[in-house]
Order: sequence, then structure tokens, then C-alpha cells
Amino acid sequence: MTKLIRTLALAGLTGTALGAGALTASASSHREAPAIAEDQYVDNTDVYAFISPNNPNNLVIVADYVPLLLPTSGPNFYKFSDNARYEVHIDNDGDAVPDIAYRWTFRSQRKNGATFLYNTGAVDSITSQNLNVTQTYRLEKVNERTGQTTTIMDNIPVAPWNVGKRSFANYEQVALQAVTTRNGVTSFAGPRDEPFFVDLHVFDLLGVAGAHTTDGINVMSLVIEVPITDVASKGVRPAASDTGPKSVVGIYASASRPRVRFLRDERDWDHYGSFVQVSRLGWPLINEVIIPLQDKDKFNRSQPRNDVANFGAYILDPEVPKLLNLVLHANCAPTPAGGRTDIVGLLSPSGTKAADLLRIKINQGQTNIDSHFPNGRALTDDVTDTLLTVACNNGQKIGDGVDANDKPFTTTFPYLASPNSGNP
Amino acid sequence: MHRTLILLAAATCACGKADRAPSPSGAPAATPPLAHATQADLARDVADAERLGTWSDVSRRWQGQTVRWTVTHHRALCGSADDCHVAAFPIQRPARQGWMPQLQFAAGQYDALTGLCGSQDPCEVAIEATLSKLEVSPELPTSVQLSNVQISPTHPRTQTARR
Repeated sequence: MTKLIRTLALAGLTGTALGAGALTASASSHREAPAIAEDQYVDNTDVYAFISPNNPNNLVIVADYVPLLLPTSGPNFYKFSDNARYEVHIDNDGDAVPDIAYRWTFRSQRKNGATFLYNTGAVDSITSQNLNVTQTYRLEKVNERTGQTTTIMDNIPVAPWNVGKRSFANYEQVALQAVTTRNGVTSFAGPRDEPFFVDLHVFDLLGVAGAHTTDGINVMSLVIEVPITDVASKGVRPAASDTGPKSVVGIYASASRPRVRFLRDERDWDHYGSFVQVSRLGWPLINEVIIPLQDKDKFNRSQPRNDVANFGAYILDPEVPKLLNLVLHANCAPTPAGGRTDIVGLLSPSGTKAADLLRIKINQGQTNIDSHFPNGRALTDDVTDTLLTVACNNGQKIGDGVDANDKPFTTTFPYLASPNSGNP
Repeated sequence: MHRTLILLAAATCACGKADRAPSPSGAPAATPPLAHATQADLARDVADAERLGTWSDVSRRWQGQTVRWTVTHHRALCGSADDCHVAAFPIQRPARQGWMPQLQFAAGQYDALTGLCGSQDPCEVAIEATLSKLEVSPELPTSVQLSNVQISPTHPRTQTARR
């Protein structure tokens, strides 16, 4: 078992260097619940939020879906579902009820149905006629209080799959043509290198030893960069001195499916009815390791504002430290008599209502260097180590032995690394 | 027309699946008091519903019951009279179910609660309340709402919930 010493930026955690530590981990929210594991295209895996490194007046939000994608996955390469709503919800007044949502809906196109090829020749542009299978999207902003919906951009191309070197002489040059700015919002949708780093051998009886199991894996990413005033309460960025619930926004991503699907003999399936939420995620690892099997699917269908009412007892008395002690003799602290109110506190910063929301300060003066979990989440944050240390709560710093992504992140939008090639 | 009929049929099937042991139609207006009405009894019934599909039966039997429970008040989870949840079971027992009752207080009783607990956090209190809302279903998480909450004037040092 690998021993690990980590320095944590998490407030309130101080602890000394660790000579012997117990390790465990799991993918942030990849295939975390039974039902969503059967519906991969709408399984959201991670949410990141940080002040833009290039403009401190902007907020960057990354919502990843469709977990653990092999680059060599043709001939039907991964995409977003045409029959789903992908949304990022934002609570801007601390009540855990979303006030604003950004909603993506997708549409697939095919130029030539008489071939099995995704692209029929080399692709040097996102508008290339050789790009046979394509997908476009509409991005809308929804006022969740009134239901009013405004289209920000429409008919925007999704970046293609990185099929291989024969198809793309310069893949990233083509993919970045999918970056679009309209109405003050910059957006990207498409495959990226999986930014979450972890040792997934945890599922082999907690057998982690620093294996970089998500290296070389892709994910489908939605990335937006928006003015902070677009998401702040009443459109006003809070003053630097504001420490109240409106000084932060709480973010979660979700995916929803139409309630009814008809499978037909004579043609493709049809969808009917209102949309039903099938997946949601704010913090990493909440549904993964806090919510037990009996409630995982229910968690995905429920709303953050009800998290304490529905799941509060699991948060007060989490299973993780007990498992660490039982299996790995980790010497985690027993749950205190009052329960893990420290975790409740982390889920309710600045006087906000406790909920599974990724909260980030948006005060004037906040910059990119302030955006580290649990104040938002940077792409480089080792949240597995942070959360394991919080869960174990014995003053020692532990982790899974995987401390960074295999590919460096970029300093320009969309900030995520280029996806791994199917034929490098 | 054909599509409408199919949709209606599908909807009917979906509703039927929600409870495989349907409750009798025309439920009585007044709920008979339960002989065993601790939070542990409720937890057991919810667990049985998960196993047997008796969701609506559990909801029908429990909603409207007067309950006298010992619960744990955490200041972090009970920030105001309008947003107050308590732990139904003592901590340091395995959390078999996640729900934490939401309290709706009778007049003056939130102040009574904060006065009783003072600086003690967490704080065990005995309450009497009406179980006004119980959401149990195969689709959504269990949630419990207790209304007209009255705080017992003394700490329940010797009371424990039967499990």
C-alpha cells in the first residue's frame, strides 16, 4: 500500500505529515449509481468552477459527462445524447434553489449514410465535408424562477472525436474551431482528455497504489466562460467585504431525459413527456461514497435543496472512515457524538443552506488563484486526497497516490487538455 | 388517438408499479393511532416498503400520527424556524436511512428549542408533533415533515429511541 503525504489547502485541516496512511479513492462520479450506469450518455462525472485565469470578471464552469471513454471507440464514436437536456444550475442567493440554468440540447447530423465511416477523408476544418457525422447544439440561459428561456447561441458545432492521425493531421486546431462566443458567453462542447485523476483500483477491495487509471481516457465536456454579473444575484457582483450567502454561487450539473420512450418496430424510437432528471452532481464523490446503494438512484432524481432532509443522516455519519478503518486499518477518527457537522459546514459556506452544490466565492477581488476546492474547484485540485482526508478526520493527510493529471491543462479556453487520439 | 391510448396505458402501468400492494380505496379520514410509533418503527416500515413495495400503505398509516420522539438538534442544520432539520436517530449508530425530519414549530416553540439547548450542540430534545407529511416512494428519497412541534421542557437524558 502506497503511503502518501499531501499538503492540503482545505481550511481547517492542519495535521502533521503522515508516515503511514490508508488509501482509497473512487472516480468522482463515474458510473456511481446503478440506473445511470445503464445510461452512459447522461452520466455526469465532474463539475469544476473557477474564476477565469484570463479575466477575473468571468467565471468558468466545466461539466463533464459520459465517463471513461476509450479513444479507440469507433465506428460510432462518443457524443452527447440528442434526446437529453444537459444543464448547469446556479443558486445565487444561498437557498440551494437554482436561480439560473445554462441548458445544452444537441442534434446529430450525417452527410452520407451509405458508409460506416465517421469521416470519409482527412479533416482539416470543423466545416470539412469529410466530417461525415457531426453534432450541433443550442445553448440557452434559463431563469429558473420564472421559466423564461433565452437562446445564447444555436447551431454551434460540437468538436469531433479525435479519431486518429490519418483523419486529423492537427486535431486540436480543428477542435478549437468549436470554441464560440455569443452574447458575452464563450462555449465549447466536445471530447477532452479526462481531467479527473484517480486510482480506480479502489474497487478491487480498496487496492489502490497510485495507479494512474484514468490516464489516456476521454470524457465529453461542456465548458462555458460567463461574466460573473450574468450569474450573480440581481446581476451585481458582491463587494469584496460581503461574506453573506449572496457572496457565493452554488453550482450543480444535471442531465434529464424525456419521461417516455417508445421503441418501435418500424422506425427509430420516439420520446414523449416532460424531462426527468436522471443525473446530478455538485461536489465530487458525494453520490459516489456518501450515499449508499439503496439511495443512489434517488439521489440522482432529487434536488439539492432537499439534501439535508433526504440524506442528512448519511452526511452526519459517513461510511467512508469506517470502511477505511475496517479494511485498511487507517486509524480514522470515530464519528464524534455530534456527527460530522464539519462536513455540513463545508457544504454550507457563507451562511448558505447545506446542499450538494459546488460553491465558489464571486466577490470582487476574487481571482483564479483563490479558486480551489472547496471554494470552487480547479482542474488541478486533487479532490480525492482532500475528501479522503476530510472523511478520515484524524489529523493526517491521506490520498490515493495519484496527484496530478497525465496531461497538462491549458491556460486558455477551454482549459482542458486535448483528447487522447484513437490512433496516435 | 392510437398514440393517446398508448400513453394512457403506459401511464397507468407506471402508476401501478409505484405500489405493488395498493392501499384500500376510500381511506378513512382519521388515522388510527399506531401502537408503535417511534422513529425506529417508521424506519422499519420504510425498509419494509423498499422490500415489499408497500409505499402507499406506509404513507397512509403514518401521516397524521402524533409522535413523541427524542431527536438530536444540530445548530448547523436548524438555522431558523423555517429551515430546521433534526437527526431522528442518535449519531454513532450506522445511518441506515438518510432522512432527517423537517420541523414546523408551534407558536413560540422554536425559541423554546433554542433556549433549552443554549450553547449545547448537539442537543437531544424530546418533542411531540404531528407527522404531517411522509414522502415514501420507489422513485424519490424518503422525507419526513413534523408539524405543530412542541418541545418537552426537559432534556431527555434517559430516553432512547427503540431500534
